[in-house]
Amino acid sequence: MAAPFRRMASRPLLQFLSCFSRTATGNTGFRQFSSTSLCRATLPTDRVTERASSPWTLMAAVCLQRLPVISADDSPIEQQFRQLMQQMELEKSLLSDHEIRLLEDAERLSRKQSNSYDSDEEEDSRNQDIVLTQDLEDSWEQKLKSFEPAQRVRADVDKDLTSVERCLADSLVLLAEQQVGSEKLWLLPHIQWQEGETLRQTAERALASLPAGFKATFLSNAPCGVYKYKLPKAARTESSVGTKVFFFKAILSDSGPPAAPDSSFVWLKKSELQQYLKPAYMTKVGRFILDL
Amino acid sequence: MSVALSRCLCRALSRQTAPLLSGEHHHAVQSPWFAPVMTLKTSAPLRAEPKKKKKVDPRREQLLRDRLKKKLKRLEKVPPEYIPIEDFIHSIFIILLQRERSIPSLSFEEKEGRALLLKEWSHYKREQHMAEVKAIELALEAQREALEELKLESEELYQAALKPDPLLFPFSHEGPVNTPPKTQYDAPDGKYNDITRVYTQ
Repeated sequence: MAAPFRRMASRPLLQFLSCFSRTATGNTGFRQFSSTSLCRATLPTDRVTERASSPWTLMAAVCLQRLPVISADDSPIEQQFRQLMQQMELEKSLLSDHEIRLLEDAERLSRKQSNSYDSDEEEDSRNQDIVLTQDLEDSWEQKLKSFEPAQRVRADVDKDLTSVERCLADSLVLLAEQQVGSEKLWLLPHIQWQEGETLRQTAERALASLPAGFKATFLSNAPCGVYKYKLPKAARTESSVGTKVFFFKAILSDSGPPAAPDSSFVWLKKSELQQYLKPAYMTKVGRFILDL
Repeated sequence: MSVALSRCLCRALSRQTAPLLSGEHHHAVQSPWFAPVMTLKTSAPLRAEPKKKKKVDPRREQLLRDRLKKKLKRLEKVPPEYIPIEDFIHSIFIILLQRERSIPSLSFEEKEGRALLLKEWSHYKREQHMAEVKAIELALEAQREALEELKLESEELYQAALKPDPLLFPFSHEGPVNTPPKTQYDAPDGKYNDITRVYTQ
């Protein structure tokens, strides 16, 4: 009763939007789009029968990354090369106005200090003797020293695994300790998929389910990786052979209030992930976490 | 018309002074106002030249004005000066001053060292680039696998995953800086005196 009405209402909308979507018009049902064109697609609720045939349970997980805040330190060869480049550029350059003024001032000083100095012989009648260029330079140095920048590396914060501010030069990934089956494991925060939502919405729900208030930008509708595992033979039934976990990438935009130290999530660099994740999981997840 | 006017004047004046004259019985010397009709044409006020410059003058003045206007127009037809482009005006000191830097020449060992460092650097950079390319390929492979698995699972979730996200762009993110931002930092006022020159044509 409700279905034919919906069909009639959404038909002109469907024809307009068919150029965007790649649906095969025969098999799939009608999608419900809202009136504005800028929205994320939701699924119709009359599609339960197709999913039930598959024995895998679906889950969506979020790979939340905090991108680096400060530039990384140079490796030795980079430092050497940087110095070489500066030296070469200095050699190829010409003197600037400031440097010419410095040289002129030095020359004038040396002339003044020599015994045979006659102030009437001064060619330039410009009175630049009031402020020497060297004094200007010194005053600039003083001003720079009066500004205290924040420290680049803070060892105590780096050790605190739950803090977002640790290791500002690397990109960090969030791991949460969650119950899987009978044991608690460290893995990317995930949650079970529900009917009527896309996997991306499931991932957003997974992020929202964490106790701390993280604000993130999800990068795409498509998952970036998958991990599937079969349940041990004892637990397998007709309808559930195993689970497929789809990962979605997100970039942290706001970390919210600082978390309590005993909260169940940590921020880790890619090199530290090995210690926390299971090997099979690590191989799958390590592929899409870029440490560049 | 002026003759008739003077005749009326005479008559009026003679009527007024008639009892005066009759009382005094003076001699025949009379003032010019009481001249008889015969002498009207030669009376003093009537001998003065009337002003005849009423029609020619405005024409002459207008001609003068037109000539002035033409001269002004010719002056104004000069095309306006070009506004100078500040960037193209060079300071004369660029040519006048000697700007050669005096740096001692390099020894042979230094040159060798530099060449070797450049070779090492190119090798290092190539390694970096290949690592980047490999990492990106791995990530793409992982995504392809994920989409395959999703397709096996359910068609419409797959289709929903393939759709582009319209709300993602414009996306902006601040890149890495040299020192981390200070939490409570009061930046000083950026006062400045604007000395740009404004030209009008």
